[in-house]
Amino acid sequence: MTPHSGRQGWFVRRVVHGISGWVTLLTYLFMLLPIVVLIAFAFNAGKSTVVWTGFSFKWFEKVVSNRNILDALQVSLIVALASAAVSTAIGSVAAVAITRRSFPGRDVLGAALAAPLVLPEIVLGVALLVFMSFAGMILGYTTLIIGHVLVSIPFATLIVRAAASSLDPRLENAAADLGANEWQTFRMVTLPQLMPAIFTAFILSATLSFDNLVMSTFTSGVGTTTLPLRIYSMLKLGITPEINALGALMVLANVTILLLVMGRYLPLMLKTNRR
Amino acid sequence: MRRERREQLQTGLMLAPSVLLLALFILLPLCVVFAYSFALRDPYGAVLPGFTLDNYRELVQGVYLRVLMNSFSLAAWTTGLCLLIGYPVAYFIAFKAGRAAPALLLLLLIPFWINFLIRISAWVVLLGRGGLINKALVFSGVIDEPIGMLGTVGATLVGMVYAFLPMAVFPIYAALTPIDRRLMEAGADLGAGPAETFARVTLPLSLPGVLAAALFVFVPSMGVFAIPVLLGGGKDIILGNLIVQLFLEFRNIPVGAAVSILLLGFSGLGILLYMRALRRVEAMK
Repeated sequence: MTPHSGRQGWFVRRVVHGISGWVTLLTYLFMLLPIVVLIAFAFNAGKSTVVWTGFSFKWFEKVVSNRNILDALQVSLIVALASAAVSTAIGSVAAVAITRRSFPGRDVLGAALAAPLVLPEIVLGVALLVFMSFAGMILGYTTLIIGHVLVSIPFATLIVRAAASSLDPRLENAAADLGANEWQTFRMVTLPQLMPAIFTAFILSATLSFDNLVMSTFTSGVGTTTLPLRIYSMLKLGITPEINALGALMVLANVTILLLVMGRYLPLMLKTNRR
Repeated sequence: MRRERREQLQTGLMLAPSVLLLALFILLPLCVVFAYSFALRDPYGAVLPGFTLDNYRELVQGVYLRVLMNSFSLAAWTTGLCLLIGYPVAYFIAFKAGRAAPALLLLLLIPFWINFLIRISAWVVLLGRGGLINKALVFSGVIDEPIGMLGTVGATLVGMVYAFLPMAVFPIYAALTPIDRRLMEAGADLGAGPAETFARVTLPLSLPGVLAAALFVFVPSMGVFAIPVLLGGGKDIILGNLIVQLFLEFRNIPVGAAVSILLLGFSGLGILLYMRALRRVEAMK
């Protein structure tokens, strides 16, 4: 079908085979170098994010004593945890129903739950804002949490669905044969096997919420400014190393969470695999 | 019989929360926006009931048409560049990285650990007149004095690719890894050169991943608003900025609703094209 010309042969040999390594290397530099520079200048003594004038921790001190940032952090944490809990709960139950039960419209519901993935978030945000003011709801924690649930529920559902569909039904049959009732089977056989996926869904949902700007732009109210919204208004005024210090602290927090999660869940996962 | 009834009731209870969530907070709000896009507006910004096509008519006029073109070309460029860069990266991770592959995938996720606005701010600094890139260019003698890169379409594109590249790499990688290497070797054994093997075996098999990548990059890039403001200086207004301005600053809800419905239509079109292309690709196999 494809004429195999010499030029095409050259193209594929050089670009796809030979140069894929170089493209990868350059891409990783492109992705990671800005972060390295960003973190380095968090320790700058001067007010510049370009000219190095000496080492200091003063921008970190500024961040942790900035009331606006701390308030926004509190809002973001509350919204992240609450929306992740709601999203994981609703998503997991729906995922189990979709993989385990047959009911009319199963495929439609599965697709609808994944829909926010491919609908522009800004339209969902605007729609929610219009609807909330139409219904007379005041913008605040409730609206923020609802908005963030919409953003994270496709991911929560898909993760738990993947885990639920790969479960071995023989384990549940065995439990039933051994005299366990339906609830006992679910509680003692199905749920423990789904726990890692549910936990992953929770962490991912919380992360998505914590990083969210678009949905928050439309659903936050007076006194519920989230951290990304605060950062956005800070950036529009100009960049100081305070932003860099905040970024460095975020990396630190993420590494800590990752290590905690791995410390708690890695042994569990290894045990499950051995079984 | 009773058992069946109980099971039905249980299934209903399990589905209720998600169905309610989707109906109440996605479907119904979208219907309200759709209705508002035909509504009238009094001089103070309040929405008046009524039916008019003026909101849509306004969109095809000069200013708004430019916004549309800007958004479309920005999203198209972003998607094209992400695929062009993302494919070789995914190819390398899938076939050449060997045991380093998991580490490379993890490294691609590290940028997500920092708020994306802060990551974009790193580019604002790097691309600035006193920034590292200008310094390196002057030092190496490519240019004589710093050039203004911030506030250009190029700077916006750098930020867009930076933000969306991982979205392109992951689906392509996921489509490439399951390809049976023996198929590629068989191609070679049958006398196909690397070009033919790639063009007739590897590329067609990975097309579903490429299509998914295009969809995952294109749809969100049509709706961004922060990156063009921070890196492009907000000069070229795109749909995302327009929606934010119309709703939160000008309080022109009917026209804002019309713009939102238009954006929704574009995404729907993207999804439709994706599904058609996917069916074609699958029919080819």
